[in-house]
Amino acid sequence: MHLTSSFRLLPAVALGLLLTGCYSRDDIKGQAGTETPAEVPPTEVPGAVAPKETAAPAVAADAGAAGPLQAINVFLEVSGSMEGFMPKTGGSGSNTRFQQHVAQFLSEVNRSSAARKTFFRIKEKPYRDSYQQLSQTVRGGIQQPASSTDIPTVLDTLVSGYYAPNTVNVLISDFIYSPKNAGAIPYISTDITDALNRAQRPDLAVSVYGYASDFRGAYYPALKTAVRKINSCCDTDIPYYFWVIGPADAVRRFDAALLEKQPAQQVHFGVKYPVPASSLLSRFQNVGSWYYGEKDASKRAAGASYHTVAVSSVSAKGPVEFVVGLDLKTLPGLYRDVKYLKPNLQLQAQDTDAKIIDVFAANDQTKNSSGAENQYTHFVKVRVTKLGKAARPLQLVLKNQRPAWISQWTTKNDSNINQAGAKTFALSSLLDGVEAVTATDQEKAPVFTIPLTLQPAD
Amino acid sequence: MKGFFRFLYELIGTPQPPSETPVYREVIFPNVGLLTIGLSLAMVLIFYYLINKAMGVATFNKVRHWVIFLIINALLAFIIGIWQTSSQEVASHSYVYWMSTWNAILGLFWFFLFSVLLKRGSTNASTTPF
Repeated sequence: MHLTSSFRLLPAVALGLLLTGCYSRDDIKGQAGTETPAEVPPTEVPGAVAPKETAAPAVAADAGAAGPLQAINVFLEVSGSMEGFMPKTGGSGSNTRFQQHVAQFLSEVNRSSAARKTFFRIKEKPYRDSYQQLSQTVRGGIQQPASSTDIPTVLDTLVSGYYAPNTVNVLISDFIYSPKNAGAIPYISTDITDALNRAQRPDLAVSVYGYASDFRGAYYPALKTAVRKINSCCDTDIPYYFWVIGPADAVRRFDAALLEKQPAQQVHFGVKYPVPASSLLSRFQNVGSWYYGEKDASKRAAGASYHTVAVSSVSAKGPVEFVVGLDLKTLPGLYRDVKYLKPNLQLQAQDTDAKIIDVFAANDQTKNSSGAENQYTHFVKVRVTKLGKAARPLQLVLKNQRPAWISQWTTKNDSNINQAGAKTFALSSLLDGVEAVTATDQEKAPVFTIPLTLQPAD
Repeated sequence: MKGFFRFLYELIGTPQPPSETPVYREVIFPNVGLLTIGLSLAMVLIFYYLINKAMGVATFNKVRHWVIFLIINALLAFIIGIWQTSSQEVASHSYVYWMSTWNAILGLFWFFLFSVLLKRGSTNASTTPF
């Protein structure tokens, strides 16, 4: 048979195939390996977790010389106005939410990994307590309440006397600031600014966490025009705050370690965050003709991130939609909230109508996906119908905007607090004062900026 | 060379889905192109120099035998297309089959080209196919 002889030749065909030059992804990976040294130290176990840790070096680089958190100072205000939060234990055995929360927080601080934990009562000046003493004060009520504490004085004391690298000072108070007379009210923010500014700390940062608790005792309004004191108050919840004051890096670490677990209102001044990990996702809800414009996009290495959109064709009828994945788990809860992200995430672009059409958080489907979207906590979808003739930068910016809760929690008159509700006198003025110290420029620095490139395909 | 293969394989249109364009242009087109040229050359060498020269087989030099090799070459070229795209884990799309079919056609072309160029060196088949 003629054919049998030709079938005998098949091994030769196979050999021919093997001898021909062949690009494979393994080859290219090998080349890539020589260009970029491995980030993961050899002692670490390589595996699926390795790509997710790519954000870690960025954090370390951003932190500079700063080390881990070394000391935590907790200051609890024990003036008369705080007594309602910490009523003496009654027969009912019920406590306030403040007692529950602060006792738990003190315990967490005491258990935390920081080398030095110090607890203080704030009267006219800080008095050092042990953890047990302060915890007992929270649980059992204030023994000798201070007549009053002046918030600017307290802030000045903390920033001048207790400010140190890798140290945070946590001030727990109702932050009801009553100026000496009504004429001083317009200068509240200036008073706060001056107090915080006196020690001239260049990297000062303040995180404010707001909570509300039931309140059983005398309420001392800041505005004493109507009454000096409301006995057996209150029918409404009263807000209290944790102010975390310290160098920006220490505040960021402390927030992430101890204050992000529980829901709270929050606002941050002067805290700097590392740029979150991000990437375009070419196989997730992508629409239209576009692909990664990076030179090495074909390698598709695990954990690689892409920031260049190459658009091959786009028109009003055939728009291009691409999704940017963001890993925001290093940011505080405020900036992870989709309600905050939607109005404050913005695109800065030229020669294009690119705009954000949706911002959404990861769900079970994205988390369990086998695609690259499983690495990201939030997604930004962008639509483009026209673009420039050449590559143009496209920046995804998260603006640092004051959250809405601050104005909602602020009242101009707390003399009838039961009617006003869970609000604090002149809270927004206090925070104006903080912002003036921590803001360096006229324009507020964004929380993060992610540079992208939008270009026509070659 | 990547540019040449990109031109050759994009004669039938740009890769689909568009998100897979980089891997097609940078990896699959050069791979498939080189493999197919290598395959066609090997098949031609086998037909003209191994069977019809070194082995001295005298009964396998007609046009119909040449056509058998031509068809096998095209089938293998099609398989190369499917194999390379699946090994690169591209998103599934009918384009994979269009590209593989186009590669089979290119396989026919390469086989014909090499035949014309190399047939003279064969002892028994120097006039096949014409």
